Amino acid sequence: MAEGLSDSAPTPTPSDRIKLNVGGKLFETTVSTLQSGGPDSLLAALSSRPSNEPVFIDRDPEIFSVLLSLLRSNRLPSTARRFSKQELSDEALYYGIESQLRSAMSPPPLSGIDASVVATIRPASDGLPSAFTAEAGDGSIWIAHGGQVSAYDWTLNHSCTIRTHLEDITSLCRVWPDVAAVGSDSSAGLHFYDFSRVSHIGSIHWTDPSDPRIYKARVTAIADSPDKVFASFDCPHRENCILLVDKSTLQLVSEIGRQSGSATKTMVSGKLTWLPETGTIIGSAVSCGAFGYSGYIRIWDPRSGSVVWETNEPGSGRSSRFGDSFADVDVDPVESTLFKICSKSGDLAVADLRKLSDDPWVYLEDKNPSLRYAGGGSSSVLHCYRGQVFVGRDGSLEVWSRVEEEEGEKRIEGRMFRRNFVDKLEDSERGIVRKIEVGGDRLFVSRENVEGIEVWESSHLSGAVSLF
Amino acid sequence: MSQNSIQYNDFSCKTCLYNLTFQNNENTLRLFHFSLFFIIRRPLEGKSIHKPKAKQLKMPPSSAAPVSSAKGALNFNLPGINKGSNVVTIDVGGQFFQTTKLTLSLAGPKSLLSQLAESTQIGPRFIDRDPELFSVLLSLLRTGNLPSKAKAFDIEDLIAESKFYNIESLLINSLSNPSQFEAFNLEKSLVLPLNGRDSPSAITTTPFGTLHVSHGSKITSFDWALRKKTTILTHFSAIDSLLGITPNLAAAGATDFSGLQLLDLQKGIVRDTLNWENATKSGSTVQAIGSSPEYLFTSFESSRRNSNSIMVYDLQTFSPVTEIGHYEIYGADLYSAIPTTKLKWVESYGMLMASGSHGGPSGVIGNVRLWDIRSGNVVWELKEEVDCFSDITVSDNLSAVFKVGVNSGEVWYIDLRKLRNESDGSNPWICLGDERKVKNVKKEGFGCKIEEHGNQLFCTKGSDIELWSEVMMGKQTKSEEGLRERVFRKNLMGRVKDDGSSKITNLGFEGNKMFLSRKDQQSVEVWQSSAKGV
Repeated sequence: MAEGLSDSAPTPTPSDRIKLNVGGKLFETTVSTLQSGGPDSLLAALSSRPSNEPVFIDRDPEIFSVLLSLLRSNRLPSTARRFSKQELSDEALYYGIESQLRSAMSPPPLSGIDASVVATIRPASDGLPSAFTAEAGDGSIWIAHGGQVSAYDWTLNHSCTIRTHLEDITSLCRVWPDVAAVGSDSSAGLHFYDFSRVSHIGSIHWTDPSDPRIYKARVTAIADSPDKVFASFDCPHRENCILLVDKSTLQLVSEIGRQSGSATKTMVSGKLTWLPETGTIIGSAVSCGAFGYSGYIRIWDPRSGSVVWETNEPGSGRSSRFGDSFADVDVDPVESTLFKICSKSGDLAVADLRKLSDDPWVYLEDKNPSLRYAGGGSSSVLHCYRGQVFVGRDGSLEVWSRVEEEEGEKRIEGRMFRRNFVDKLEDSERGIVRKIEVGGDRLFVSRENVEGIEVWESSHLSGAVSLF
Repeated sequence: MSQNSIQYNDFSCKTCLYNLTFQNNENTLRLFHFSLFFIIRRPLEGKSIHKPKAKQLKMPPSSAAPVSSAKGALNFNLPGINKGSNVVTIDVGGQFFQTTKLTLSLAGPKSLLSQLAESTQIGPRFIDRDPELFSVLLSLLRTGNLPSKAKAFDIEDLIAESKFYNIESLLINSLSNPSQFEAFNLEKSLVLPLNGRDSPSAITTTPFGTLHVSHGSKITSFDWALRKKTTILTHFSAIDSLLGITPNLAAAGATDFSGLQLLDLQKGIVRDTLNWENATKSGSTVQAIGSSPEYLFTSFESSRRNSNSIMVYDLQTFSPVTEIGHYEIYGADLYSAIPTTKLKWVESYGMLMASGSHGGPSGVIGNVRLWDIRSGNVVWELKEEVDCFSDITVSDNLSAVFKVGVNSGEVWYIDLRKLRNESDGSNPWICLGDERKVKNVKKEGFGCKIEEHGNQLFCTKGSDIELWSEVMMGKQTKSEEGLRERVFRKNLMGRVKDDGSSKITNLGFEGNKMFLSRKDQQSVEVWQSSAKGV
């Protein structure tokens, strides 16, 4: 292709027409259409050829015609349905226009008030998911099940499985596109596995030369940041801390937030999230005992290791909701908001991470009469995503979505959210919701003792059912 | 006999498309093994997590020559191609296709398509076949995978068409390539029913993708696409050992019938009977059959059950090569000669594993031997007295001998690279489970089967299959984690709803599939990964 770029050749203008011969079929298009595939694509490279001769490409002409109309109109023609997703993505990869295909095939922005189950991903063996992550953000998912980690690509096709030495993976985090960090409730250490090499590539253990009791610490939560991995470790005698691991070397950097674990407000974090806006890490711990729920939310500055803000429940702040502590907490790092679900009333509360105080909570008012008796907050799980809060209450799945407000100052008010069910009654009978996560506009839900993971998507198709 | 070997060689030639060095008749089977593992050119390994960039693609579009003067071809909107260019134009049933010589040459030297690529005729070459089917096969040549439009056709049509172009091996490769065997992604995909009331007694496969099942006195053979079957009747009342040699030839034997029979699976006739001449001049029953790329091994026992031996035959001519491990029972000592009931060739070591066990009033005892067949010597031997194997196998890829203990029901292994002859009677087995269960009185491992395939080990326990795989870990981390030298982990195959089926009696592997049979079920289950199923 080097000779095509010589100085003497006239540079083609975007409106120039260009002919391609794909597998014996002639196609004619413009340079600008081919270049819309991106500068690195094979087609863009072809378009810079100066000659009028059709370039021969030894591929199937029918799939090419689909991909060409994708480039022309940015949407997939209906003829694309004749080909499998795998085929289209393979072919798009060949022409170097996979990102165009992905954006054309990906579901519309997820709207909790209009989503339905489109698929259930079921691993072939030991199908009960113990953890999963959709952090890649392109609709792909990694599932940990029975000591294995299986990767499913953005078309939800199984791409590979790796068996780890752990028997039960309870924390899973995507560190690099092909490196997973795994931890287990039943086995010590944070472990890194590489999918491409199908091998274990490193482990991190919490040790303290001055304290021999610090050993066999288990990982309870893992969080990813651009350059570090955060993992909370818990010793058998309940002492705990958060370790910072460098992502490029997979070596231990430092230790922060060491706690004795003697009380619920010093126990290990069960959830960690990196806050990119402030460069801090937020951790939360919730436990349920005979006297109800208790726990803490705490923000650490990883540079100094100091606590920036914290709240403990019960017992912190002058809350009107005394005796109604949180059952689950989740952070929306994009919107800088923090949500909690109350264990007794089942109410949802929001706090602005930019204006944290002793009692920052604003309780959301529930206006939907059909949900009035929807139950309390015990055994609830929470996940927030772009101004929407998904709540799993036993088997049911509901969403709190923000109502568009008029122009003006963005303030958090209790009346801004509306509550709706995502699911139908029959969906809720499948089992207790254990984890909810959104990635790439897909909502992934796992249920207790149910094989596989449900995939929910929004769609613009009516899905009309013919009764003939 | 001669007819048989000619047919066989012919078939191999078709399949050995990539073996340019393929010359020697003696080595056909071995070469064939390699050719199956040869991956057709696939510029897109879409399965990998690393997506190749456009720059890395192997097939840059070739520059076509200028459009030639207007000819009839242009009426079909077909760009003209100069003589001497790499692009070939083919007219299949009135429809024009263009592709490169390189793509056509992938069809193999014997195929019609590569002959087209070499011919010097000017203008499009005409083939009087269906263009739709041809476009499917052309996609197969280009990408190595069948396109999804192939689903619109019956596989039978595709097979017939690929036979016409002489590229059936490519079709076999795309549908049952061993490199597509994904142990972690196997799901129950098909059930092959067997007629009559007998459940399968033995399952065997051939490298050609065919499956052969003995049930009662019958053998049913399935073609590689599992679409066609033939059933033949044999002399046996029940077949205990079965080994597929070619799609048309299998060796069969029984513990209550004298002689090893070589059966023609199409015509249902006995081509040859191989007997072992024992000292007592009684009949010789077959206890086990095994094979290497060159040899056929058979374990015989005399009908009086006082002597046994392993015979080695040439796999091409079936003439005896040598006899190893001849044992006679002396006096009342039954244990001096336990016949071999499992034979397994270890290719990388060039050795044969032979094992046998005997259940007596004091429990099950057995022995495992590794034979060097050239010298006829035992290289390594192990007597099993405590927790004897219920089944045993040896894996080349994992370099280990694996057994499932009859008492413990646990899987044990011995690293092949660290074999020692235990003179002090210490236990060389390393347990992959609870070691204390050795002292079980209950025979927990009774009837368990253990088989290896690829990099995995499959162990059946009742109706379940355990999938064992090795976890690759650095030496340092292993000591940190307090792990043993080698880390093996198991998973239970299948779904929860698969529970409650009956006990697994036979297990077999070929291509990208796993076959199994269950007690009292007149069928064979096929497991394969869902994505590639057609």
